[in-house]
Amino acid sequence: MTASYPPLRDLPEHETGDRPNPLRDVRDRRLPRVPGPCALVVFGVTGDLARKKLIPAVYDLANRGLLPPGFALLGFARRDWGDGDFEALAREAAEKGSRTGFREDVWQRLSDSIRFIPGSFDDDNAFDTLASTLVEMEESHGIQGNAAFYLSIPPAMFPVVLKQMQRTRMADNTERGGWRRVVVEKPFGHDLASGRALNELVDEVFTPQDVFRIDHYLGKETVQNLLALRFANTLFEPVWNGNYVDSVQITMAEDVGIGTRAGFYDSAGAARDVLQNHVLQLMALTAMEEPATFDAEAIRTEKVKVLGAISLPGTMEHYAVRGQYDQGWLGGMRVPSYLDEENVPKESTTETYAAVRLGVETRRWAGVPFYLRTGKRLPRRVTEIAVVFKKAPHLPFAATDTEELGNNQLVVRVQPDEGITMRFGSKVPGSSMEVRDVSMDFLYGEAFTESSPEAYERLLLDVLIGDATLFPRNEEVELSWGVIDPLEDFWAGTKPELYRAGEWGPKCSDDMLARDGRVWRRP
Amino acid sequence: MTTILWDTNGTEIVKTLAAERRTAGALASGLALTLVVIADEKHVDEAREAATQAAAAHPCRLLVVVRRKVDADDRLDAEVQVGGQMGANESVVMRMYGRLTLHAESVVLPLLASDAPVVTWWHGDTPEKLAYDALAVQASRRVTDVSTAEDPLAALRQRAKDYAPGDTDLAWTRCTPWRALLASGLDDVAAVPTSAEVMAEPKNASAALLAGWLTARLGVKVKQVPSRGPGITGAEVRFGRNDVLRIDRPDGYLATLSRTGMSDRQLPLKRRSLGDLLAEELRRLDADQPYADALSAVTGDKGLDGRPAKREHVWRDPMRPAARRTAGKSATKSTAKKRTTTTKAKKTTAKKPAKTTASRSSGRGRRS
Repeated sequence: MTASYPPLRDLPEHETGDRPNPLRDVRDRRLPRVPGPCALVVFGVTGDLARKKLIPAVYDLANRGLLPPGFALLGFARRDWGDGDFEALAREAAEKGSRTGFREDVWQRLSDSIRFIPGSFDDDNAFDTLASTLVEMEESHGIQGNAAFYLSIPPAMFPVVLKQMQRTRMADNTERGGWRRVVVEKPFGHDLASGRALNELVDEVFTPQDVFRIDHYLGKETVQNLLALRFANTLFEPVWNGNYVDSVQITMAEDVGIGTRAGFYDSAGAARDVLQNHVLQLMALTAMEEPATFDAEAIRTEKVKVLGAISLPGTMEHYAVRGQYDQGWLGGMRVPSYLDEENVPKESTTETYAAVRLGVETRRWAGVPFYLRTGKRLPRRVTEIAVVFKKAPHLPFAATDTEELGNNQLVVRVQPDEGITMRFGSKVPGSSMEVRDVSMDFLYGEAFTESSPEAYERLLLDVLIGDATLFPRNEEVELSWGVIDPLEDFWAGTKPELYRAGEWGPKCSDDMLARDGRVWRRP
Repeated sequence: MTTILWDTNGTEIVKTLAAERRTAGALASGLALTLVVIADEKHVDEAREAATQAAAAHPCRLLVVVRRKVDADDRLDAEVQVGGQMGANESVVMRMYGRLTLHAESVVLPLLASDAPVVTWWHGDTPEKLAYDALAVQASRRVTDVSTAEDPLAALRQRAKDYAPGDTDLAWTRCTPWRALLASGLDDVAAVPTSAEVMAEPKNASAALLAGWLTARLGVKVKQVPSRGPGITGAEVRFGRNDVLRIDRPDGYLATLSRTGMSDRQLPLKRRSLGDLLAEELRRLDADQPYADALSAVTGDKGLDGRPAKREHVWRDPMRPAARRTAGKSATKSTAKKRTTTTKAKKTTAKKPAKTTASRSSGRGRRS
C-alpha cells in the first residue's frame, strides 16, 4: 500500500469538522462495518420471506457481531400474539435458516431486543403503539431515533401502511432527530404506470434517497464481482464490446414450480416476476460503462444509461417468446402442469417461461444481441451470464481439426457454485492436430478463506449503514418497465407455448436462436 | 486418505501428495493459500485442528513442520493426508530430525502451492528473530503468538524490535472484538476523548496491544489496571465532560456495555478458539498497519511500518552457542551476509561445510 493515512488527531481542527470516530481507521480492516444504533421494523414479519430470509439474516448479522450495541427488531403483523409467541417463531426461523450456526448466547442477547406489535394495517391504535414503542426503545435500547422499515407485505397494502406512517410521522427524518428509511421488495408495480404510482407514493412519504428497493440478486457476491472483474482487470475490458463479443446470454432458471404463490404469479408471469428486475439488472451490470467512482450515485447513473439504451426486437413474433410448463418429470419426480397447480385458473395464459432478444444502442454494443431467458420447472436452478465471443477471423488449421471448436465464452455463474468459467480451445493430446473446447474454472468457495454472506445479510447491513450502491433507483425501475410493457402488450391475448417440465423451455425459444444461427448454452 | 512415509525425502512427499490429489479428484481445485505451521510434537494435533477449523470450507494446503532433536541422525518422516477428515483440505505433517531441522525449507519449498500466498504460523516457540527461521523468509504473512511465551510482554517487545510489515500476533487478533465494540460505541460521539483505561490480568499481551491501539488512535494516555482476569476484563474511554464509554467482561463470556446517557446493554463477548483466531488471521493477507501502530505505541519502537517487508535469512546454528552469541549481538545492525562470514570464520575448527545459508539440498548427510 503506497497511500499513507495520517491518524485523525494530526489533522487540523477544521478538517475534522463533523469529527469522525477516532477509533475508525480505513486501514484497519479487521473492524467490521457496523451500522450506528437503529431499529429495524418489519411489516409482515410472520410471512414467508421474513421467516426464511429476514430473521435468519438478522440473526447471522448478530452472530457475526455486525449489529450495533443499540439495536431493536420490531415485528408488525396481523396475529394476536404476544412477545413470547413471536419470540418462539423468530427463534425457530433463526435456528432453521441461519448460515453461521445457532448459538444460544447470541440468540438470548438478540431476543432481548425483539418486540412484536400485533394489529391490522388499518388499525390506528396499533400504529400508535408502534410509534410509541419506537420512542420508548430510544431510551431502553439506545436506538436514537434511527429506524428502517421493511415492507414485507403485498404491494396492495403499501398505500395503507404508508399512510399510517405518514399519520404517525414515523417516516419523518426530522421528527426524532435520526434517520428513517424504508425497504421495498419487488414487485415494484406491474407496469410502468403502476410502478410510477408506487414510486410516487413511497417518495411522498419518505425522501427519495431513503427508499431502498431490494433486488436480492444484487446482494450476491458474484454480481458485485462482475464489476471487479470488468473494472479492476486489464484482461477483459478491451474485449468487452461489439468488436469481440458475438452475443450475450443471460439465464435465470428455476427447477421449482410456482409453489404457493399462484395468486400473485398468475397475475404477473415470468416476465414481470423475474425479467423486469433481476435479469434486466444483470444485463445492466454486464453492459454498463465504467462508473467514474465506485459509489452509489455513479454506478446507478451508468445503469440508468444502459437501461435507457435498450432496444426491443423489430419483429416481436420472432424474438419475444413465452412458454408455460406442462406436466413432466423433473429430478426423478412427476410434477404437475402449471394449469394443474393449486389455485391456477384452468384457462390461464400466464407464462412461466420468457425469452427475448434485446439490443443495447450504444457504440460499445451496437449489433450485439442480448438473449435473456427465465423460466420455472427447468432442469436445474442456475443463474448465469455468458459472454460469447466471436470466432477467430482466420484459423490456420484444416477445417477438420477445429470441428469441435466453438466460440470462446466467459461465463459468470451467479448461483449456484458462484464463480467464473472461461471456455477456450485446446489441443487434444495425440499425434494429430485437433482442437476442442475446454473450461477453466474459478470457484469462489475455493479462492477465498471467507464464505460469501447471504444476499439478504449484505443488503440489510447496507440499508442500516445507508449505502445505496446495490439498490436500484426508481428511474431504473421505470426504465425496466419501459422494456417489459411493450412485450406484455405484444403477448396480450396470445397463448404461451407449452414445454414439458424438466426441459430447457419451449421449442420456439430454440428456434429464436436458431434463426440467428446460434444455440442456447446449456448452463 | 492418509499415507505415512517413513525415512523419506522431499521428492517422495511431492510425488505422494500429487498422487493422493489425483485419487481424491482434487486436481482441478484451486488452493487459496499455503499455511505452514511450526509446532512442537505435543501441539501438532491442536495446531492441525485449529488450522482445519480456520480453513473449514476452503481448500488450503497445510504443512506442519515438527522439528525434533537436532542432536540426532538426519531423518524425515511424513504423513500426507488429502480429503477425509481434513474436509476439502490437504495436509502434510513432516517430522524432522538432525541437521535437517535447520534446513526445513528444503522440504517445504517444493510443497508450496504455486503462486498462492504463504502464511507461516509459529504455534509455540518462536525464534528470537523470525529471520533465523528460513520458513519466515518465504512467507508473505507471519503469525506469532506471544501469549505462549513465559513473559508475554517481553516477547511482545521482542516482536516490535523484530517487526517487519506482514507480521501479526494472535494476541492482537484476540482484541479485535474489543476494538470493534469500542469503535462502534464511539461512532456517534462528537466529543473529544480525554483518557482511557484497560483492565486485564497482569502481563496480558492483548491488553497491552489494546491499550497501545487506544493510545495510537486517541492520542491520550491509557492506564492499564491489573485485574484478576480472565484475559481482558474491561476497557473504558472518557470523553467530553466526563462522559464515559465502558465495557466490562468479568467472566470472559458476557460483556456489559455502558455509556453515559444510555441504558446498559449486554452482549456476548466470548474468548475465541484458536481456530477462530487463525480464521481471522487468514482473512486478510496484507500488512496490518494498525497492528504496527499499536505495537509501536506499546514499546516505543518507531517507524515499524517503514521497515522492509522482506526478510533475509540469518543463519544460526543452535548447536553452536558461541556463534549464536555473536549472531545475537550483531543482529541489530549487520546484514545476513556479514553474519554468514562471521559464522564461516568461526568454523575453521569444525567440519561444517561452507554452504550454510538457505541450503536447498535435502540436508542429508550433513551432520556436523
